[in-house]
Amino acid sequence: MIELRHLKKEYDIVTPLKDVSVTINDGDVISIIGPSGTGKSTLIRCINLLEKPTSGQILLNGEDITARGYDIKKARRKMGMVFQSFNLFGHLTVIENIMLAPMDLLHKGKQETYDKGMELLHRVGLAEKALSYPDELSGGQKQRVAIARTLCMDPEVILLDEPTSALDPTMVSEVQAVIKDLSRSGKTMMIVTHEMNFARSISNRVFYMDDGGIYEDGTPEQIFEDPQKERTKRFIRKLKVFEKDIVGANYDFIVFDSELEKYLQMNDVAPATKYRIRLVIEELTRQILFPVLPDPQIHVVTEYSIIDGSCEITVIYAGKQFDINDTANELSLNLLKKTTDSIRYSYAEGEERPNRVEIRLN
Amino acid sequence: MREKQKNVPKKLLAIIMVIFLLTMCSLAVRAAAEEPAAQDELAFLSEKGTRIGVGSGSIQEVLVNELYPDADIYYYDKFQGYIALEQGKLDAYIYDKKQMELAVKNGQKGVRVLDSTIGDPIRIALGISKTSAIPDLEAQVNRFIETAQADGTMDELYDRWINKGDFTMPEIERPASPKYHLTVGTTGDVEPYSFYQGETLTGFDIELMYRLAAWLDADIDFQVFSWDSIVPGLQSGKADIIASNLQISPERAAEITFSTPLYEEKNGIMVRDEFGASRESFLSALSSSFEKTFIREDRYKLFLSGIFTTLLITVLSILFGTALGFLVYMACRNGNKAANFIARIFVWLIQGMPVVVLLMILYYVIFSDANISGTAVAIVSFTLVFGAGVFGMLTTSVGAIDKGQTEAAYALGYSDLRTFFRIILPQAVPHFLPSYKGEIIGLIKATSIVGYIAVQDLTKMGDIIRGRTYEAFFPLIAVAVIYFILGGLLTFIVDRIEIGTDPKRRKKERILKGVKTND
Repeated sequence: MIELRHLKKEYDIVTPLKDVSVTINDGDVISIIGPSGTGKSTLIRCINLLEKPTSGQILLNGEDITARGYDIKKARRKMGMVFQSFNLFGHLTVIENIMLAPMDLLHKGKQETYDKGMELLHRVGLAEKALSYPDELSGGQKQRVAIARTLCMDPEVILLDEPTSALDPTMVSEVQAVIKDLSRSGKTMMIVTHEMNFARSISNRVFYMDDGGIYEDGTPEQIFEDPQKERTKRFIRKLKVFEKDIVGANYDFIVFDSELEKYLQMNDVAPATKYRIRLVIEELTRQILFPVLPDPQIHVVTEYSIIDGSCEITVIYAGKQFDINDTANELSLNLLKKTTDSIRYSYAEGEERPNRVEIRLN
Repeated sequence: MREKQKNVPKKLLAIIMVIFLLTMCSLAVRAAAEEPAAQDELAFLSEKGTRIGVGSGSIQEVLVNELYPDADIYYYDKFQGYIALEQGKLDAYIYDKKQMELAVKNGQKGVRVLDSTIGDPIRIALGISKTSAIPDLEAQVNRFIETAQADGTMDELYDRWINKGDFTMPEIERPASPKYHLTVGTTGDVEPYSFYQGETLTGFDIELMYRLAAWLDADIDFQVFSWDSIVPGLQSGKADIIASNLQISPERAAEITFSTPLYEEKNGIMVRDEFGASRESFLSALSSSFEKTFIREDRYKLFLSGIFTTLLITVLSILFGTALGFLVYMACRNGNKAANFIARIFVWLIQGMPVVVLLMILYYVIFSDANISGTAVAIVSFTLVFGAGVFGMLTTSVGAIDKGQTEAAYALGYSDLRTFFRIILPQAVPHFLPSYKGEIIGLIKATSIVGYIAVQDLTKMGDIIRGRTYEAFFPLIAVAVIYFILGGLLTFIVDRIEIGTDPKRRKKERILKGVKTND
């Protein structure tokens, strides 16, 4: 069991982990997902202290491994790590790569280690490469050897830091197969990955990391099908977001239009959808809302999903309760209704901008 | 000929013609340049632009400046001076007439000595240390000289060694239980005063020194210096007396104490003598050079002893330097600020100055009082130089190893030190060895300067032999060839190590030694 308590990691410029507290149970297979630069690798590298946390504690089976004077080598022998760049020892053959640490550090016999190493090589399908050198192997083969090397130390926990990111797409599946096999062995695993389907199929728990910590923690079903939090949703559905405030009666719509155009173009929005998004925003803000709001304070959020091409536009605005369905401008309203798939108005009493319009384009 | 040339393509013919013309032109220019005036034997010396060679800091230099202000002065040691003259790089060389006559007599080709002499007589004396352990050395030496001049010993010695050229060294009785120890500095390359016959140091000065030692009731040993370092050698206390047909020049007299003069010589002028140039065929000249350089008086033994010294200095410096560089690297590798600072200063100091300067500073300044042999000082110097090199090479070759290797070892539970020795170093060695080989070749060549501190290495032995054979070409080439062979030998050994330590050349049996496999 691993417990992280108020873990913080600070670099000069960024703070990838602000305050992380979480418990990892024995047998957990945890996928760590999230946008790049959100501290996924930092978290996993902090656990075996390859990165030294700025503050906080890490408890392995109740022992504080961040404590002064604790021999981290002992903890590391129980926590195997698989790297993105394999890091096989270039001067040793495959079998020696596997045998070196158990013999050096656990003082296992040579024959015993060899037999175990060969068994592991069989398991990852590379027995005939035992006497090859790492530079004679393909990326996928290297990573499978690296996994075997980690397993030969009989670790309690296996940390995998983006194990397939450096691989040719054709080799990803062979490594994933080995990891999948491993995930059924009952060992505790933590794997940083960008492959959503893979993460979903092997893990019993998913950490979505964002905003300096574990932003959402749940089962794969929860995270992938029904994420609770805004950023998780956006990430899972691959939503691209455009947010803008329209404030004041003299607002510069030219700038707004050009920025919207840039956003639509960058995300490769189909021309028809592009036209609809522009139309909706223009009719809603300029034709319907602007004339009736004495001091316009409108917030526009556009979320476009790359996966299915759908789009959600949320417009909230300050002022008295004003349902757009009651607008005098029926022409614009009709246009709006024809262009969109659903329009929903709600009013939340007491908020700064209580009026909310949610529009969906499929 | 013409018949044949017609068959040759025109281009080639043109090229041959051009080469021929150029050769003719250059010969004509040379011939025109080498026409010294003949009427008054010495008139040409006063002409503007006459190229006169003298020893640097010698009394002849002062003399030429005084008498022939229009001449261009070139600084050459006497042997280089003779050869420069022979090859037409000089118009005249001015030096002790007696010595130049001996050189011609002993086989220096292509030069002759004029009858005229110039300037005041040269006084020859011994240099005496002020800090010798032997009490009142200066007075004692002067008394000895006075006695020897009075009883005719000095004249007999001079007549035998210098006039007659009788090079047999008499047995001089050495004190059974000497009271003192006398260290004599000499050059060993000036016949017939201080020179090697086979491996034995002999000559007028040497015999005189044996006699002095007996007279003083002292044991004696000789230190062989280069001409540049014999005076500093005396000043720094490396010798009690220096004796090597030394002329009392004002410059030297200002720095060291001279004895009363032993005898006087005259300044003579040596000029080029084209008709005296060697007319032997190339092959017979070669075989006679070989005989003179290696066989005569068993001179090959001098080469062997020089090779031994060069190898001793090189090999020990390599071993100690490698160990030193490695230790410094180990102290610095984890970024210890103090250690890195000290190492930076060390490398900066060692690599910032010419090795010869480092060598002389160690010998004449730092170890001047200590009774340490020149060879030991040379080993210390080159250990420092090589250590600095090894440190740098280790830094780069270890830096070339991917950081992931360290991380992987750490993640498996290796300690920092074990990671270095088990994982990093074995991979760094193949990066390290190629530049290491280069450094070794550089080192063996660099040791050729140890002659400055009275160490008789291969180069110095070559000089000593050149001093006897009056040949520039053959001993130099011989020395060069020997350096090539020694360098080749050392690289061969490193090559073996390279193959032996290359993990990828291991046999399958060795990798799986002691393991039962299923196949």
